Amino acid sequence: MRRSYRTSVAQPGVESDLFGSSAASRAVAPAAPGSTPETAIPVASITETARAVIEGSFSPLWVRGEVSDFKRHRNGHWYFCLRDASAQVRCVVWSRSQRGIPTSPDEGMEVTAYGQLTVYAARGEMHLNVTAMDAVGDGLWRKAMEETRLRLDRDGLLAAARKRTLPYAPMRVGMVTSPDGAALRDVIAVIRRRAPHVSLVVSAATVQGVNAPAEIVAAIQRICRFGEIDVLIVGRGGGGREDLWAFNDEAVARAIADATVPVITGVGHEIDITIADLVADHRAATPSAAAEAAVPVRADLLAALRGLGDELSSSLTDLAARARSRLEEGATSLKRAAAIDAERRRAAIAATAGRLNALSPLATLARGYAVARASDTRRTLSSIKDFKADDLFTLTVRDGEIVARVTETA
Amino acid sequence: MSYEKRVARLQDIVAELEGDGVPLDDALRLFEEGIEILRLASDELTTAEGRVELLIERVEGVFETRAIDD
Repeated sequence: MRRSYRTSVAQPGVESDLFGSSAASRAVAPAAPGSTPETAIPVASITETARAVIEGSFSPLWVRGEVSDFKRHRNGHWYFCLRDASAQVRCVVWSRSQRGIPTSPDEGMEVTAYGQLTVYAARGEMHLNVTAMDAVGDGLWRKAMEETRLRLDRDGLLAAARKRTLPYAPMRVGMVTSPDGAALRDVIAVIRRRAPHVSLVVSAATVQGVNAPAEIVAAIQRICRFGEIDVLIVGRGGGGREDLWAFNDEAVARAIADATVPVITGVGHEIDITIADLVADHRAATPSAAAEAAVPVRADLLAALRGLGDELSSSLTDLAARARSRLEEGATSLKRAAAIDAERRRAAIAATAGRLNALSPLATLARGYAVARASDTRRTLSSIKDFKADDLFTLTVRDGEIVARVTETA
Repeated sequence: MSYEKRVARLQDIVAELEGDGVPLDDALRLFEEGIEILRLASDELTTAEGRVELLIERVEGVFETRAIDD
């Protein structure tokens, strides 16, 4: 709101102002304010009038120059000069205006600043009240991204080891996006086509403008509290650099890093890489690609399941086959053991028989000895006392017996 | 049991059956469990119909989902 000091300072009905008083009006009217020592005007009046004149003459505009004497005040406001070879203008960026500016400019940076030229009464200085700014070649945007990236990197949030594996077969996918956006329509189409069994839960957020970062953070935290999702897509369709800027916001990046399920980002088009992409567990080039990364094709899942079913059947068949062959092996070795046992017995019998044979008197007879036995009792007659003259006795030799008579005893 | 847990259990069963030292009784029991899991997992894929819903948090921690028309 602007007050006009022209009317409050100038006399009513007098066609003059501080800068337009004429000799004619001076002659006929009481002295115009400031035209004589007696009508001197207060300092505040002249600065206020100057402010009104300048603000009335210049609509907000873009000014190009080099940044110098940049100061960030304790109260959060930025002060600097924009200068070129021959001139300079003081600039201020109130802290509330800084939300639309990616980051503070560096000393000597060539920038364009958009703002209202005005007069700051307390100092009596003309300055540009800046509300938007960028450096040549997107310098400020790049600088801001780099600063955010460094802070996240320092906290380890960009480490490859942090990246979580995406679920193999999610049944419920979450998405943080605008419910009216093209991104949601694309994701729905991909899920319907690839995996019609998968549900999608949308946590709504404005995805561009000054409220977008806070809304995206809140939407991520909300769906994580809800919890009943396997994976989360965060994204929006393509747009200008400023449309996508919320996804370069540090708070959004940290909310993604803190998410309780793996996060896939799908922001804008192929070429747009945002800070959110760097923190996400998986970066997809577009929302559609994010949906493809999130859900496998149902036919593939069914084929894999059939494969497992086949493995299950053959594992049981194999198991049965192994059991049978073990049984057969068992029978064979039992037979073999029995045969070996029988052979061992046979050998033992043979050996005993051999020993028996060796002990048998028949073997002694074979070597030429003879055995005399009583014909009646078959008692072995081994001493001369066993014989009496004319006794008959049997003499066994190698191949038979003969009956013999004692003719003489010693 | 989630789909993924079912598939994981199924893989465990197959691995166990493929290994040695499963008594035949246990093997049959595992096989039957495997067949049942296979049936449930397959049903889940073929009969479930995906929905699209908007998440609403009534008060902190109290959620409802509302179908989105598309």
